Amino acid sequence: MEEGKLINVGDADFESQVLKSDVPVLVDFWAPWCGPCHMAAPVLEKIAQQYKGRLKVCKLNVDEARRTAIDHGIMSIPTLNIFKGGEIVDQIIGVTPGYESDVKKKIEPHLQESAG
Amino acid sequence: MSDVTYDVIIIGAGPAGLGAALYTSRDRLKTLVLEKFQPGGQIINTDRIENYPGIEQIDGPGLIERMQKQGESFGAEIKTGCEVTNLEKLKDGSIAVYCDGDKFSARVVILAPGSGYRNLGIPGEEEFRGAGVSYCGTCDAPFFKGKQVVAVGGGNTAVEETLHLAKFADKVTMIHRRDEFRAAKVLVEELLKKVNEPNSNLIIKYSTVATAIKGEGKVQSVKLKNVKTGQEEDYPCSGVFIFIGMVPNTDFLKDFVELTDRGFIKCDCAYLRTNVPGVFVAGDCRIGAAMQLATAVADGVIAAMMLKQYFRDKKWWNEPVSDLLQPGGW
Repeated sequence: MEEGKLINVGDADFESQVLKSDVPVLVDFWAPWCGPCHMAAPVLEKIAQQYKGRLKVCKLNVDEARRTAIDHGIMSIPTLNIFKGGEIVDQIIGVTPGYESDVKKKIEPHLQESAG
Repeated sequence: MSDVTYDVIIIGAGPAGLGAALYTSRDRLKTLVLEKFQPGGQIINTDRIENYPGIEQIDGPGLIERMQKQGESFGAEIKTGCEVTNLEKLKDGSIAVYCDGDKFSARVVILAPGSGYRNLGIPGEEEFRGAGVSYCGTCDAPFFKGKQVVAVGGGNTAVEETLHLAKFADKVTMIHRRDEFRAAKVLVEELLKKVNEPNSNLIIKYSTVATAIKGEGKVQSVKLKNVKTGQEEDYPCSGVFIFIGMVPNTDFLKDFVELTDRGFIKCDCAYLRTNVPGVFVAGDCRIGAAMQLATAVADGVIAAMMLKQYFRDKKWWNEPVSDLLQPGGW
């Protein structure tokens, strides 16, 4: 993977990219029609950059990857699911006023100490 | 840590912030707009704007894109993904703004952080967030195709979003605590027309409030109460959409400027001066805000005009609102 960048995932590669990832994964369930999803994009890009090597940040378009969205019971977007070892360990629904700090607070407990 | 100095820093790139940036940049003031997300604010969620004078119809993202480009064309600098955590009044009278390890300072700051969704504050609301409870019809309506939903509210946004929901859901029940809508009459007419269509999938329950949201794992019903008769019922539904107004995004400002108990920024409401000299306010987050696109833009423009008076004479900050202030005097 290209480190520090957002990765688009779909039904076909969800398992390999997310469930079988060596590092924790933040998955953004979004759709083109969703205003707040677009608004949150710079925050996710920044997080992907800041945590590169320790966290993978993926985007999943619920309109295209319907099966995965339904399997995960997504009923509101944006939803961020944090996966570790193939399991959901935390979730953030919607964009909160302090989004960047809120997302970081949820991610950090699940990260390994930096190898570097 | 970088430390860059500006004439004006605007916090928030919604209609208020972008309105201000257009004016300050046209005055050739070195202008920085700090936005924690992409530019837009709440208006980004509106897919049909019909109440902005001079524009018959436009969608929120389209209007914001224009506003952003217009401001940038005159030199305004817009930084996105930049969440302001702290502000500080410096000894020389300028204001420092801290944002993720960066420090920016300016002679004047315009606070335009906008507002976010208001919660009902009833049992089940937080628990079922994302499992049937939603605050954004345009975002989440497609997840409720073929399902029954309840929409709560009675203002412009509530009516617009309910009409949007009715395009997707099998049945939409709109509940409103009063027996009359506050929304613009044209919107109410459109709503009632839809309700009165043969086999309409939209019904309205007046004088009704939601008191609890129930379910197992996801929403299965909402408890409704008629405020006139006191009668209660468990109303089956898969979704509860809450459109009951906005709360100001001012938590990060509570140690810096004076806020009301409900979090609105106090100001003089004419020149938009806060209690901190050099710090103006604009848009949804101030006391007395009309919470409209056009008034948010107007606020931004007022702040951008008035700051010139402050540049001219710092003592003006504490002077009462006066009829002697003339553009010629600037």
